[in-house]
Amino acid sequence: MSETVAVPENLDELRTLLAHESVVLPVGNQTKQPLSVDAQARLISLRGLSGMLEYEPSEFTFTALAGTTVAQVNDVLRQRQQYLPFDPMLVQAGATLGGSVAAGLSGPGRFRYGGLRDFLLGVKFLNGEGEAIHAGGKVVKNAAGFDIPKFMAGSLGRFGVMVELTFKVFPLPSHRHTMAVTCRSLADAMQRMSVAAASRWELDAIDYRPETRTVFLRIAGPAEVNQALVQKISDLWGADVEPIPDDDEFWKSMVELSWPDRALPIAVKIPAHPALLTSLVPWAEQHVGMDLHVSVAGSVVWALCDSQQEVDQLDRFLTEHVSAGLVVRGDVREAKMGAWAQQEIASAVKMAMDPTMKFPLL
Amino acid sequence: MAETEHGSGFQVTSLDGLASIFPTQRFVRDAAFQAAFESDGLTAFRAKPRAVVIPETAQEVVAAVRWCHENSVPFVARGSGTSLSGGSLPVADGIVIALNRLNRILEVDPDERIAVVEPGVVNQHVSDAAAPHGLYYAPDPSSQSVCTIGGNVAFNSGGAHCLKYGMTSNHVIGCKAVLANGEVVTMGGRSVEAVGPDYPGLFCGSEGLFGIGLEITLRLLPKPERFHTVLVGYQSLQAAGDAVSAVIDSGLLPGALEIMDALAIEAAEAAVACGYPPGAAAVLIVELEGPEEKIEYERRQLEEVLSSTPAFAQRVAVDEADRLSIWRGRKSAFSAVGRLSPDFLVQDGVVPRKRLGEALVRIEKMSRESGIRVANVFHAGDGNLHPLIMFDGKQEGALERAEALAAKLLRLCIEMGGSITGEHGVGVEKRDFLPEMFDPPTMALMERIRLAFDPKRVANPGKMFPGTEAPSLGLSGLHPLEKAGVISRE
Repeated sequence: MSETVAVPENLDELRTLLAHESVVLPVGNQTKQPLSVDAQARLISLRGLSGMLEYEPSEFTFTALAGTTVAQVNDVLRQRQQYLPFDPMLVQAGATLGGSVAAGLSGPGRFRYGGLRDFLLGVKFLNGEGEAIHAGGKVVKNAAGFDIPKFMAGSLGRFGVMVELTFKVFPLPSHRHTMAVTCRSLADAMQRMSVAAASRWELDAIDYRPETRTVFLRIAGPAEVNQALVQKISDLWGADVEPIPDDDEFWKSMVELSWPDRALPIAVKIPAHPALLTSLVPWAEQHVGMDLHVSVAGSVVWALCDSQQEVDQLDRFLTEHVSAGLVVRGDVREAKMGAWAQQEIASAVKMAMDPTMKFPLL
Repeated sequence: MAETEHGSGFQVTSLDGLASIFPTQRFVRDAAFQAAFESDGLTAFRAKPRAVVIPETAQEVVAAVRWCHENSVPFVARGSGTSLSGGSLPVADGIVIALNRLNRILEVDPDERIAVVEPGVVNQHVSDAAAPHGLYYAPDPSSQSVCTIGGNVAFNSGGAHCLKYGMTSNHVIGCKAVLANGEVVTMGGRSVEAVGPDYPGLFCGSEGLFGIGLEITLRLLPKPERFHTVLVGYQSLQAAGDAVSAVIDSGLLPGALEIMDALAIEAAEAAVACGYPPGAAAVLIVELEGPEEKIEYERRQLEEVLSSTPAFAQRVAVDEADRLSIWRGRKSAFSAVGRLSPDFLVQDGVVPRKRLGEALVRIEKMSRESGIRVANVFHAGDGNLHPLIMFDGKQEGALERAEALAAKLLRLCIEMGGSITGEHGVGVEKRDFLPEMFDPPTMALMERIRLAFDPKRVANPGKMFPGTEAPSLGLSGLHPLEKAGVISRE
């Protein structure tokens, strides 16, 4: 890791750094490299502030330091048969909790119960002056004051240095089952995703891989219930449905953004809707240096690209379609892609969150 | 341009400019009509606005807000006025923007599973419109038959199903709004995912201090195929509380877990004859929901858990009508308490779930010491208490004593690491407690955020933040709709 990254071991060291540096960008383990760089800012990694602080399985909550890796959190939760249902991304890559919040990334499990934002209950963060802000709370239900924790999700380290995070967790379903549904076309896939998403089945995840025209349906619960529902789905869609015996590997390759068998080092998150999918998917198929994975029943597209050139083309495509993207991995000129909302209020809110302008502009 | 309009003699801006935006019949200064807007679900407070404007289009709302901003005239946006924290209480030197006519459901898209609605759309109407597609809008505050989405968004309303599905903000994915500074913004969009800071998340629960939502994009969910609703009677509150822990520890994730104590049961029984087990010191309602195959499995699991608890009575809803009759007792509980006492305050606090039993013991002790009866109804799954503090407003000082007890209860929630509000919001009612929950740097940040949206503090002033102008405290019993049995409180 670059020697310019400061790694404070405690809050005092973090405060000292904040006092001495004019512009700071907080990072975690820099697994989302394009979001962890800034030409003017001193990088401060929170990886030295790591560990579970409180975990109350019966409360469905835990509080951990921001530098704690998601992998570590997952291990602790699993021991008590609990989990973060939104499927945090880039776990094996070493993503930290703080980095996951700052990037605002959720995996395929977002479909069932909501995304990272919906499970984030409280955030303690330091502002540019080193003052601790205690936003939100530590209980699963709380309507007091502004919901600043949600605002930190996706804030890309521009509002403060998150040091402690409180999350809601859920009981871990005992079994999981994944089916692959072969589709004839994108339209067919979209129609099936729509049927599945509005169905009585309570699916856990609904994803689509354009390259193979396959919809992936994941179901989570007791084994005998899964089996019964899988049967019903197979009855409906017959020979198109095939079970995926080792689904762990499949979902891991999605969450780690490592599914292609070729090198596509750049990864882009694109919030999507049916109209965008209808144009984006065929367009991307024309690009050999690009591969897509559609997640959350069509609400997100993950685009993997091989070069800045492909990124530039995707950027133009998104701008033309008034859509935005965020590069989360790879060496690119700019992490923001396409049409990001430009609203006057954003600068006033930035000043409110960061009055000393200690953190870079977005 | 200033004229003196009030007996109090302070200078106020003429409303002529505002009046020119609206036809006469929708710019109302008629005393009798205005009286209907003096109060909301928190009936202990009232204030008379200078005027009520009734926009019919988003453009009129934008024009009214811009006029208020430019002329520094406070405004309070209002839907059905069901707030239990005084969130839509008017400001005496300001206006009310009544949004009930912006009640169009602009779009229901079954493929995207979203609805785009105007702020005056009634909560229940969203689910009604989604129903033909097998979808529904999950947040279900008890007032859902009349409360509006605009108010739900402003106060991040809850309901009985929050543990599993979250609150309003978990279901709002986009919002076009006019901010208090006059800017019209689009936050979020049609996807449940976004990039960049989560503006819809910040806007939800901002209690009307940031502006007015004009077009709100809601996430819809597939309607559960089957419900399994069980009503269980216990001989002590502690036993009911322990049963909740047992259910949670078993790995089940019920859609709802509700407890009512003896006083609340007595009230509900008198009001709607809900047939709860006679002699119960507490009842627990557990509701599972999902596909038939799953419910078939989980109901056995639940049966096993409940059989290990000292339940003395159990009723499983045999059909939808039976299920609704179980819920009728719970949903009517608050207004039903009006039968036990001429007046009552509804409190709303949160404690960590494992400390529910301890909290209830302490509430009972406080009740005994103060000689004030308290009925308890709560969303046990998420530790959300709703103590109902009973008093007789005709007795001198009774309201003040009830308020003093309410304050103690809120402080108990803070002391236990919980929250002063789970779903009703801070509003007028709890604004003095917010600084007890949040430290000065956090309060200062919230104030700065507020000023970013509303540099002149014209949007819903007097709510959430302490130390602002006090409304008059009076006593007026139940909300008129509550008396009529149209709404009940959560």
